[in-house]
Amino acid sequence: MEARAHTGTPAPVRLARLAFLSVVGVMLVAGVIGGLLRAGVAVPVPADSAWPGRAVSAHAFLMICAFMGSVVAIERAVAVKERLAFAAPAASALAGVLMLAGIPGAAAWLAVLASLAFIAVNVTVVSRQRAAHTALLLTGAATWLVGNLLYALGNRPAMVVPWWFSFLILTIAAERLEMTRLMRRRPAAAATLFICLGLVLAGSAAFAWSPLWGGWLYGLSLAGLAAWLVSFDIARRTVAADGLSRYMAVCLLLGYAWLAVSGLAWMATSLGFAARDAALHALGLGFIFSMMLGHAPVILPALARVKMLFGWFFYLPLAVLHVSLALRLFLGPVDFGLRSAGAAGNAAAIVVFALTVVGSAMAWRLKYPASSRKRHAIPAPH
Amino acid sequence: MDTLHAPARRDSSYAYAGPEALRQPIEAALRQVVDPEVAMSIVDVGLVHGVSVDDDRVQVVMTMTSAACPVADVIVGDVEAELDRVVPPQMQIRVELVWEPAWTTGRMSERAKAFVGW
Repeated sequence: MEARAHTGTPAPVRLARLAFLSVVGVMLVAGVIGGLLRAGVAVPVPADSAWPGRAVSAHAFLMICAFMGSVVAIERAVAVKERLAFAAPAASALAGVLMLAGIPGAAAWLAVLASLAFIAVNVTVVSRQRAAHTALLLTGAATWLVGNLLYALGNRPAMVVPWWFSFLILTIAAERLEMTRLMRRRPAAAATLFICLGLVLAGSAAFAWSPLWGGWLYGLSLAGLAAWLVSFDIARRTVAADGLSRYMAVCLLLGYAWLAVSGLAWMATSLGFAARDAALHALGLGFIFSMMLGHAPVILPALARVKMLFGWFFYLPLAVLHVSLALRLFLGPVDFGLRSAGAAGNAAAIVVFALTVVGSAMAWRLKYPASSRKRHAIPAPH
Repeated sequence: MDTLHAPARRDSSYAYAGPEALRQPIEAALRQVVDPEVAMSIVDVGLVHGVSVDDDRVQVVMTMTSAACPVADVIVGDVEAELDRVVPPQMQIRVELVWEPAWTTGRMSERAKAFVGW
């Protein structure tokens, strides 16, 4: 990469990038609206429009495949630096658009194509670096394909959703395993992780014939994974640092606590307790979204080419997310109104986070006005 | 290129070939680039393989811990920006990302190892 002869990104590329990221953002908004309506929150949506109903029934598809799947696939495409690799997130985002447009069959099969393309991208990653974490990333991509195939073939959500979550769980586990490479290798650490992740896959598969066994295996694997992450993750060290590093570690450690809650809730649900909301959302919001909030200040500049200034205000949406989730999941089972209020708080956390990101990008521009940037150079954010 | 992959000096984790006057400013600039995920500079993590400086160019050869890292370009941009502050304006800055030799924990500084509990 040659500097001082840098001409910048062409405007059409910047526009295309912005349009693409906007579509992914719309998938998040539609998915959240579907989730709010499910939780009984009176969201003002057009009464004569069909898409809100589709967003309700396809909430998991929109959140996991069209939004998170697209984000993860964009991340990987940026990493491999192959234009063709963007076919995967383009297909998964378009699948969400088709779903909202009322063409669910085409949407489901397009998601299958997206995960196939994503597997190809991950094969490229493995060919560049043969390591346990890249193999896990590839396995995660394969679980996305399994979930998408089951969905396209018309299987019930209880069979599909564990596979979709497994895709995100394996992806996160792979990234955390990569970070633990910096720590002293403890005997049996890697083997224990692979046992937990093997149980995640076994649990996902077991839902096909036994919700009881599926729930137990899946729940046990999540609780085990949470224990592994708390024991071995580098976040335990970086939480003692300051600034962005500490914030990321706090997001991770809170996420691991919710992962353990989710594991218990999956087991409780399989025994007939009303813990399905906790099983799904301690995982999707408490673990996965907390992880996304933590990584956004680092990942968004890579995806959107926008610099961000880190500050204490990043803790605001994080606090709103975790407090509202606790309200929803711990008090929701006894009072549906509190469950709705908690869900509204979850959505508010995402809105506050979006505002935080915009504010932080503007703060960076104010702190480093164009005139102060030497030649082409841009000061590092950390 | 050979000089960049030569064994690291004792007091630095990467090989340096160039004028002595720029050794310290360049190392200080590189230490400004921190991977927030691990709260350590790229020098301490051992991502920098080598730096060579000639009359009109400073070249950095570095790696990442993962080929799946989407932040690689941001880190490379940060390295360029930090070097831009310390090297003479007429110099070109070139940062080359390589996967061989691969990063290993052996490349981490003592300070980095102490931080993560070795």
